[in-house]
Amino acid sequence: MSTNSVVNRLQRAKAGVGVGGSGSASPRKKGRFSARTWTLIAFALPSLILLLLINLYPVIYAGIQSVRNGDLIDAGNFVGFANYAKILSDPAFWAAAQFTVIFTVTGVFGSWLIGLALALLLRTRIPGGGVFKVLLLLPWVVPVVVSATSWNWLVATPQSPLPMLAQALGLGNVLFLANPVLAQVTVCVFKVWISFPFMMMMMSSALASVDVNVYEAAKVDGASSWQSFSHITMPLIARTTYVSWILMTIFCVNDFPTIFLLTGGGPVNSTTSLVVLAYRTVFQNFQTGPGVAIAFVMTLVLVVISVALYRQIRKVNIE
Amino acid sequence: MTSQSNGAAFTRRGFVGLAGGVAAATLLAACTPGGSGGSAKPIKFWNMPWGNTTFNPTDKQITLAYKPSAGLNPATYQVIQWANFTQTFSSAVASNTGPAVSSGGGTQAFQFESQGKISYADNLLDSWKKNGLYDDFLPGLIDTMKVSKGYAAVPYNLDMRVMWYSKALLDKAGAQVPTDWQSYLNTAAALKKIGVYGYGTGGGAGNFTGGHILVSWMINNGGGLFDENQKPNCVTPANIEAMSFVLEMVQKGYVDPASSTYTSANVQSQWAAEKFGVGFDTAGLAENVGGAVGPGLVVGSPLTGPSGKKGALYFPNNIMMYKNTPSQKGSEAFLTYYYKNMTPLWTKGTGIGLPPLKSITQTKEFQASANNVKVIEEWQPISRTWAAPGGTALFLGVTTVDGTPAMDTFTQSILGGKTDAKSALTTLENAIKANLKS
Repeated sequence: MSTNSVVNRLQRAKAGVGVGGSGSASPRKKGRFSARTWTLIAFALPSLILLLLINLYPVIYAGIQSVRNGDLIDAGNFVGFANYAKILSDPAFWAAAQFTVIFTVTGVFGSWLIGLALALLLRTRIPGGGVFKVLLLLPWVVPVVVSATSWNWLVATPQSPLPMLAQALGLGNVLFLANPVLAQVTVCVFKVWISFPFMMMMMSSALASVDVNVYEAAKVDGASSWQSFSHITMPLIARTTYVSWILMTIFCVNDFPTIFLLTGGGPVNSTTSLVVLAYRTVFQNFQTGPGVAIAFVMTLVLVVISVALYRQIRKVNIE
Repeated sequence: MTSQSNGAAFTRRGFVGLAGGVAAATLLAACTPGGSGGSAKPIKFWNMPWGNTTFNPTDKQITLAYKPSAGLNPATYQVIQWANFTQTFSSAVASNTGPAVSSGGGTQAFQFESQGKISYADNLLDSWKKNGLYDDFLPGLIDTMKVSKGYAAVPYNLDMRVMWYSKALLDKAGAQVPTDWQSYLNTAAALKKIGVYGYGTGGGAGNFTGGHILVSWMINNGGGLFDENQKPNCVTPANIEAMSFVLEMVQKGYVDPASSTYTSANVQSQWAAEKFGVGFDTAGLAENVGGAVGPGLVVGSPLTGPSGKKGALYFPNNIMMYKNTPSQKGSEAFLTYYYKNMTPLWTKGTGIGLPPLKSITQTKEFQASANNVKVIEEWQPISRTWAAPGGTALFLGVTTVDGTPAMDTFTQSILGGKTDAKSALTTLENAIKANLKS
């Protein structure tokens, strides 16, 4: 091979033409997609359009509804951000937001604590552990309609088992659903009961990935059980923990059936969360604009919380 | 001889020929009026599960037995479940894929009427004046459907709110069947002594009956929620007196303290547990309670209020016709047939509410139930709609109180007893006004 031809090929290579190529040595035009890229785009486009139609269209349509004063049939007139101003100045919105926070914080951390405790317990070898696992999963597996009916049977009337038990314990006539504060507690406990199996599964899978040798090494170094848990277990399952918190926060904020089936948002709106308020505004008051605006505010808050937690996950990854 | 499949027999030319044939047939079918072999496009009839499991099959049988006159349309039948029915109808009507004729929620016709989706029943009712159907309706029923532009719907089945009592518990307590508000208090006091509540009701998740009964007390006292201009007017002396009366019962312990959160099932279980001795509910309470207690429940006569008036709230459920129909004449012809042939819905134990036609109430099957007869004879004539005291006919504004959060909150605050009548009524009126404005 002559020096000339090597230099020539190098020049062609610098110009963006393959060494072995037979084309002219003109440089590749910047900003143009190759045929291969176009082919890939063409293949991906139908799925992309479908995804946009399924996910983006309803969001855009809802966004439009939130700035109009329509109902379920008529789109109504454009009212700007009046619906947002209306809901944000409505005490019912803030009461619902407050209960949503209580419900979510209790739901996330209550179910996480129980789920983690059970996951740790089930990691130890106990006879019939598999059966326990299946039984513990039942609250998550059983349809919420069935669970809500069962809980209603447990607490609704003075002759229900729990009020009877309370009476036997000398606590008097405990109104689990009729007393506003107790109704909030009952709904939150119901949520924790429904959700802990999910947390248990998440924590079990996280714990399974922790190498037991780490614990043995810590034991040799004289670490106590608590030290092992707080300095080894917790940091090693932190990523899964944050993911489960994100997911459970979304589940709780968006949870409609748990509340609606048990209390309908009552008594006197004490258990009305934002999602229940949105439903009632759209489908019982027939005010689509304010109802969708509530849902949008909810979404915004959820995104902020999710991003904050996601950053925590990234931090854990870096560490 | 076994049959053999020969792939070669299905040639490319054959395939093209077949495809061409199918395309041509489709094209021809599309060009045919009605698009289905020359027959008229059917009238879509959507009905709800108004009764037990036998209701819809019986109803379907009646519908599909319809043989239209020449040139008129046949009918198809579709059951629409109560779950999310508002959404089902709204989306279908908005997209013009809804029914031509349907039943539905009690105020549904008035909502769709305000949207311009309803075909008025004036012509249909005129034709019924000639064939006797019009005069067969119970008194005052048809008037409840009249809006300014015409009749929004035709009355179908009646959802009544009536007073029930347990004869056994009243006997046990040595109490009398109440006839007015004072005697009601006396009866409730007597029942309390045997650990039974004298005002059985419920206002929990999905149970709107508690609110209905509160409005019944108002109507019983000559009150109600709307004035003659169809504007909310809740804070009236009659209403304050009625709600003060209920609050008095709550304070005196005649009302189950958990009532505000009772679902319909909870209420029925309290009747079944003999914890409720007197109360107000739908006309089907005895059947719903069932067991040993149900047959012993009796419908009482309407109470006389302090103002000397009688009254209660009721819901004339209805059947409406939509503008989106293949033929208005077809819709009307179908409804005429349906009303002339719907008697089995009430004589075959389908569990539907009370009938709108006098002829059905006179059948021996209907007369066999003393409770039902009492409801029709004594309660229906004195019952009023949500429009009371200002009017008779329903209107769009009643959708702000029928199963709405405002009414739920009002009901729960009254049954919870931690309010006073005036404050609760003022909150309700403000909520109705706010909903009407938006």
